[in-house]
Amino acid sequence: MQRGCTVSISPGDEILISDGLSAHGLSKRFGDLVALDGLDLTVGRGQLVGFLGPNGAGKTTTMRAILGLTALDGGTISWDGAPMSVENRRDIGYMPQDRGLYPRMRVGEHIAYIGRLAGLSREGAADKARHWAERVGLGDRENDLIQELSTGNQQRVQLAVALVHEPTLLVLDEPFAGLDPVAVAMLSTVMAERVAGGASVVFSSHQLDLVQDLADELTIVSDGKTRVTGSTSELRRRSPTRLLRIEWDGPEPSWAPENATRLDAPPGVSVFRVPASSDSARLIAEAAREGTFASISYEPPGLEDVFLEIVAS
Amino acid sequence: MNGPNLVFEVAYRELRTHARTTAFKAITAFLVAAAIVGPVVVALWPDEDGARQVSIGLADGADRSLEETIVALAQGGLDVEFVPLSGRSQADTEAALASGDIDVIVDAPDTLVWDSQVDAPLAAILGAALQQRALLVRGEAYDLSENDVRQLLTPVDIADRIVDMTESSDFILAIAALGLFAGFLIPQVFGQLTLVSVVEEKSTGVVEVLLGHIHPRTLLLGKVLGLTLLAIGQILVFLAGLGAAMFATDSIDVSGSVWSFVPVLAVSLIGGLVFFNTLFALLGSLISRQEDASQVILPVVAPLMVGFIVGQLAIGGRADTTIIRVLTFVPPITPMLLPIRVARDAVAPWEVAAALSLLVLASWAMIRAAARVYEFTLLHSGSRVSWKKAWGFVRARPGSE
Ligand SMILES: Nc1ncnc2c1ncn2[C@@H]1O[C@H](COP(=O)(O)OP(=O)(O)OP(=O)(O)O)[C@@H](O)[C@H]1O
Ligand SMILES: [Mg+2]
Repeated sequence: MQRGCTVSISPGDEILISDGLSAHGLSKRFGDLVALDGLDLTVGRGQLVGFLGPNGAGKTTTMRAILGLTALDGGTISWDGAPMSVENRRDIGYMPQDRGLYPRMRVGEHIAYIGRLAGLSREGAADKARHWAERVGLGDRENDLIQELSTGNQQRVQLAVALVHEPTLLVLDEPFAGLDPVAVAMLSTVMAERVAGGASVVFSSHQLDLVQDLADELTIVSDGKTRVTGSTSELRRRSPTRLLRIEWDGPEPSWAPENATRLDAPPGVSVFRVPASSDSARLIAEAAREGTFASISYEPPGLEDVFLEIVAS
Repeated sequence: MNGPNLVFEVAYRELRTHARTTAFKAITAFLVAAAIVGPVVVALWPDEDGARQVSIGLADGADRSLEETIVALAQGGLDVEFVPLSGRSQADTEAALASGDIDVIVDAPDTLVWDSQVDAPLAAILGAALQQRALLVRGEAYDLSENDVRQLLTPVDIADRIVDMTESSDFILAIAALGLFAGFLIPQVFGQLTLVSVVEEKSTGVVEVLLGHIHPRTLLLGKVLGLTLLAIGQILVFLAGLGAAMFATDSIDVSGSVWSFVPVLAVSLIGGLVFFNTLFALLGSLISRQEDASQVILPVVAPLMVGFIVGQLAIGGRADTTIIRVLTFVPPITPMLLPIRVARDAVAPWEVAAALSLLVLASWAMIRAAARVYEFTLLHSGSRVSWKKAWGFVRARPGSE
């Protein structure tokens, strides 16, 4: 792989991404603990990347390193092909996992303050603060103190703070945690808009159903290493297993295909995990010989199973 | 926007959010009220002509004509009441002395009876009266009339002329004492505000957002600047109130020498504020919970205490002992001692220059050291960072972060 600029989607299928964020070979130790162990992360312009991994995998550490908040022991972080500069960093919109706002500042004032620190003019920051307060659904609470807001609403402010200067790189550490469905929908829309506008967005999350719907591209890490990269459907397709699901019309036969594992299922339904190398046409023909079915499906496992497979391996 | 602007942004936020708190408004209002009420009350206090009330007991044998002489000698400085004691027992009169009903008893012959100790000013007047009586009696032997004797004894008015009016005038000493108190208290108050503000940013996690956009040094400088300006603002408001009240009540005429003294006081105070605000910010970066504040504050309060105690000695006693001279050059103590030594005229110009330069240098070194530690510890949470580790950060190779 070329230094920090190339990402391997699957063997023999390489695309060059020179625009956007590229973190390569990141390593970081905390005493004896290896938090990052050669981790790679690429987020192209106009790309929405879901950053997944079990607890302690190194997601937050990676994001902090991108922001320059954590000193790395090794690795390179570049933006648009050049090493990330102080100016690049100031432009990043960041939502930390441990949310942080001044409890005794007013909503509008707080958003504007961070806007000014990010380089906006006084008037510009005030305008944008009003705009984003409105956008995250707090237009009528601009003059309330942060500490008077509910946790979820504080999180909306946190989002506005990350967006106020309309950054070209958004780094969101578990942005969906604690949001109600309305806010989840709002955040999803905002993220999609930013990406459509050419920004790079990376977010971590443990809500895989959300990630599956939202992200163009996933990077799954564990133990400080990048395990796989690719779109949801690619990762699912690359799974070594498939799920065969049969809804019987009539009595459920005791039949099971070769090399299959029977999974828990409601009465009248059989679900098997079979190797991806299985011949689907033959499996369907076999099932048809054993009984009549109302429906049958043969597909790669969902993202959650893929995640567990990757993390366990 | 560039670096200095960001420092001002941070300073402005710090100023605004603190100035807005009820506690700050209440303290400022109190200070202004005290500044205005103090001189006004003093000016409006019913003037008692300075006359002191005394009761003089006259024992049986005492010459009643003494009364007139005593009143004449007291020249209105005393408001004298005479209590004839004829017929009262000794125990009774002594009880009256003990209780303070009577200040002194004039007994015959030429004896003054006091309770536990002699009251010198009163004794001087009574003594003079007794002498005068005796002289009248003796004068008769020389055919001198009472009037002749009085003529002879007419006191000469003696004028006091003080050559060095500037040296340690009471007014300047009073300001020095106020300065000592301010130099002791204000850095602590605003230092604590700085510390609380640093720890709040860590404990709320907002520091992570801030440091995404600005350098830790910018954050530190802005904070120290903001809180120093806030302190100066509060002091100016207090002084404006005091000045207005004194001017309105005509309480003082400020002598020229004050104006040469004020800059030293101001520079000392500002230097002290910057020094201690930075120091407290550094302390704040070592801990992540307000509860741990007391652990780290103690070593800072110690020099303040030393300065305060030594400062009081310098106001009351000699201001140029070796210890005081040496301590004047110790930066955290300079702001408290230097103004006093200037007020007492017990300092050489080179000492003033050297002490202030050292203070400025130390503040600068302090800001640099604190910024280094700040950089390494701001995202640190949990237990407090040891001094040893902090020192390691100060010496760490630049750019290793
Ligand atoms: N400041 C620190 N000091 C010591 N160890 C740390 C520090 N920060 C992170 N770690 C360790 O580094 C590893 C990676 O942590 P990190 O927070 O990056 O994980 P994560 O993927 O964000 O996990 P989660 O999903 O729980 O948020 C963990 O083992 C963690 O304990
Ligand atoms: Mg995390």
